[in-house]
Amino acid sequence: MRNILTSLLIFSYLAGVPVVNAASEPWGTLSREQREALAPLAQQWDALPALQQHRLLGTAKQYSRLTPEKQQRFHDRLVKWSNLTAEQRQAAREKYHAFSKVPADKREQVKEMVRQEQAVKAQQSNNESPVSPNRK
Amino acid sequence: MTTQLDPGKLTQLLNQNTQQLDDKVLSALSQARLSALSRQSPRLSVLALTTGRWSISHKAYPWIIAALLAGVLLSGISYWHRSHEQQINELDIAILTDDLPIEVFID
Repeated sequence: MRNILTSLLIFSYLAGVPVVNAASEPWGTLSREQREALAPLAQQWDALPALQQHRLLGTAKQYSRLTPEKQQRFHDRLVKWSNLTAEQRQAAREKYHAFSKVPADKREQVKEMVRQEQAVKAQQSNNESPVSPNRK
Repeated sequence: MTTQLDPGKLTQLLNQNTQQLDDKVLSALSQARLSALSRQSPRLSVLALTTGRWSISHKAYPWIIAALLAGVLLSGISYWHRSHEQQINELDIAILTDDLPIEVFID
């Protein structure tokens, strides 16, 4: 029995190693489609941790199937998303997952509230710092 | 005409006749017996799995069982890892493309 347990531990360790370790992929080795999907990250890609690269490449696979509007959103948010810590990204996933379980009508109410809040903020921002080329 | 033979008497008669066999016949019978025993001995003395030409000693059983268990464990880990990563990918793409800004989901 001890032999079995020892052998099992050795095999399990060896078996687990490739699952945990993900190799880093330099920007230059990415395909044209991958570079297009992840273009906003070109400058910082090589400095990203291997696991983060691996996950971003997973999202990049779906980029070509997105609508142009969603592709634009994806690009607009990519740098901010990548600059978050791993814990912040995980917390965001958990929140999004919980939010997706909320009934559709409640979700729509929240979205409407957020839109109104954004509109107010945008209005305030415009009032506080009016940009006039004549003042320069 | 039928003769009733007593089994004990029959054994005695056979033993007597065996003692009267000449050395050549006795030697041949002895050789045949040894040969038969040598062919039979591996199957009796070692508990082993046999597949044609290959035989697996019982000493290897713990390793075989461990390898099989590790294989099952590896498959389980691999399956869990793939489905976990798939779920993360789906959530990431949803967050990055949703009509709600990502700030809503960030502390």
